[in-house]
Amino acid sequence: MSSSSLSFSAISRHVQAHEKEMPTQLRLAILRNIMLEPLATYLRYEALSLDCQAQVTLGDYDTVLQEAVAGAPTVYDQQTHAILIVLYLEGLSWDLARNFASLSEQAVENEINRLLDLCHTIVQGIRSKTAAMILWHGFLPSPYPALGIFDSQSHAGQSRMLHRLNTAICDVVRAVPNSFFVDMGHCLARVGSRHFFDHRFWHMNRAPFTLEAYAEMAREVSKFVRASLGKNKKCLVLDCDNTLWGGIIGEDGMAGIKLGTTSPGSAYREFQQQILELYSRGVILALCSKNNEDDVWDVLQNHPGSLLKRQHFAAWRINWQDKVANIRELAVELNIGLDSMVFVDDSAFEVEMVRRELPVVTVLQQAKEQLFQARFNLLACGLFDTLTLSQEDRTRGSMYTAEAERKRLMQATTDLHSYFKSLAMQVEIAFTDQSTMARVAQLTQKTNQFNLTTRRYSEADISQFVAGSAADVLHVRLLDRFGDSGIIGVCILRYQQQEAYLDTFLLSCRALGRGVEEVLLRHALHLAKRQGVRRVVGEYYATAKNSQVQTFYGKQGFTLDLAPDSPATHRYFFPLEEQTIPADPDTFTAIISPLRG
Amino acid sequence: MEAKIKQIIADVMEVPVESVQDSSSPDTIPSWDSLKHMNLILALEQQLEITFSEEQIAEMMSVELIVLTVKELL
Repeated sequence: MSSSSLSFSAISRHVQAHEKEMPTQLRLAILRNIMLEPLATYLRYEALSLDCQAQVTLGDYDTVLQEAVAGAPTVYDQQTHAILIVLYLEGLSWDLARNFASLSEQAVENEINRLLDLCHTIVQGIRSKTAAMILWHGFLPSPYPALGIFDSQSHAGQSRMLHRLNTAICDVVRAVPNSFFVDMGHCLARVGSRHFFDHRFWHMNRAPFTLEAYAEMAREVSKFVRASLGKNKKCLVLDCDNTLWGGIIGEDGMAGIKLGTTSPGSAYREFQQQILELYSRGVILALCSKNNEDDVWDVLQNHPGSLLKRQHFAAWRINWQDKVANIRELAVELNIGLDSMVFVDDSAFEVEMVRRELPVVTVLQQAKEQLFQARFNLLACGLFDTLTLSQEDRTRGSMYTAEAERKRLMQATTDLHSYFKSLAMQVEIAFTDQSTMARVAQLTQKTNQFNLTTRRYSEADISQFVAGSAADVLHVRLLDRFGDSGIIGVCILRYQQQEAYLDTFLLSCRALGRGVEEVLLRHALHLAKRQGVRRVVGEYYATAKNSQVQTFYGKQGFTLDLAPDSPATHRYFFPLEEQTIPADPDTFTAIISPLRG
Repeated sequence: MEAKIKQIIADVMEVPVESVQDSSSPDTIPSWDSLKHMNLILALEQQLEITFSEEQIAEMMSVELIVLTVKELL
């Protein structure tokens, strides 16, 4: 349930009743120069939807600089997941906030520079103590700027100053790894300034915000936390009739359905446009509807109002089976978890059934009376939000289309070997560098199935591995006749005395079953040999999702260590001095690697 | 109304509702500090759709007084 529909006391009761059941602890800290205690309750509430019990600690009032520079072990430490920095401009620079009209341009510049230095010191101070995600809350725009209606006409107005200050601060924050800028202006705009500020408690307690404001801030922060935990959704599964267009194509026909530029068809068209926006950000689209398949394609391909086309969908189940079975099949076909799917349908029956049978699937009901809200709900949900947007994300849709073509070719080919040959696959193995770190970190955060150790790393962590001499980070890119799949695998080797330890070994689900993992592992073994170690050690840590790789090292010629430190660990080794590294499979047209032989 | 107010106080102070008595105050409920008092005022205002004056906020320092003040406003 959305926090906007619940009172603070109901939320507080709900949190107390349910947070103990949550499987994961999530430590959050807030450094601030105002009182904002109710935010903690709203953050605990939002954490529930991420299956987390949040423990929120607040720094003392107006001691951010000390806590950042000298540290504050009772407020945050290396176990803290995220640190929110909420600084109210009134407390930092009374001149810029309230005494603006009387300032000279030089005085304004001096204040901006002072705040940028302060920001730099705070963010660097925190980063030197913990790798926790830093969420810097930008300064609020002023709904009534200092120079009145003239303010926005002038370069020297307060509005532009605040915008410039926020932009410059964002640059300072983004230069520090795992640090992000939270745009408070968006929160303010959504709530509206009449409902955002409580002037009484600003004077009585230095608490400037309303409960509505805290609720919105917590929702915004939860989007960052969701993405950082890899719990952002990846696939949108859509019904057709009364979801993508108004009416029922089987009954109303092409001429009767509502889809176009006039109301109510425009609501469906704008909903389709918003779906395309998500598609262009890397969200996988699928159809799950009870229709005649030909009718659906006819609308998508031939209806003048339809923006969505067949090529946008990676998979579909258009049939008369139950949708629970269909959604399960879609998850298998697309090789993604049910928990990364969002299902949209107008039918209360289908919605209830999926909610009951597949509780891990997020369900959005397209209520008919809320037709005009549909686009907005999808835009506002934040379920698909990501911390980065890589080239792989932007072209994911076409990659899935290529994958569907591969599958069709596979069905037409009799044996797997000739199928692989016909794909003309090329792999490129390379050392990760500045330009590829973001994608490599993203893969460690998002990959669940083919992931031996499931260690999640930020870009900062990867950067440390790359910069140091104690580890090497390799990634692999795959291309074939249907397109470039981009970077789809990662291997991190850490060197300890005479051993190389496979800290991370993973492959994106979109490249499974094509032998890329064998090539990557063998080249990692070549690298270890070149580094002069005696053996390579790999471990398998079981999670709810990675059982398919339990026997991976065994199949690759590794030996099971029969006396591991902990009986729960599956530990394997590959003795480089005694054992020959197997040759690369012959199914690849080209293997480009700095580590050949 | 009294029961509703006591439930809101219990929710905000994070204590069992049975422990909230007419005589309860910041002296008897340890979590009822000045900040929790502010949260309580905001929660009461939100749920009962009323607004307290600064004077009332400062005076409402027991369950009994809160109930009295709310009744005046409704």
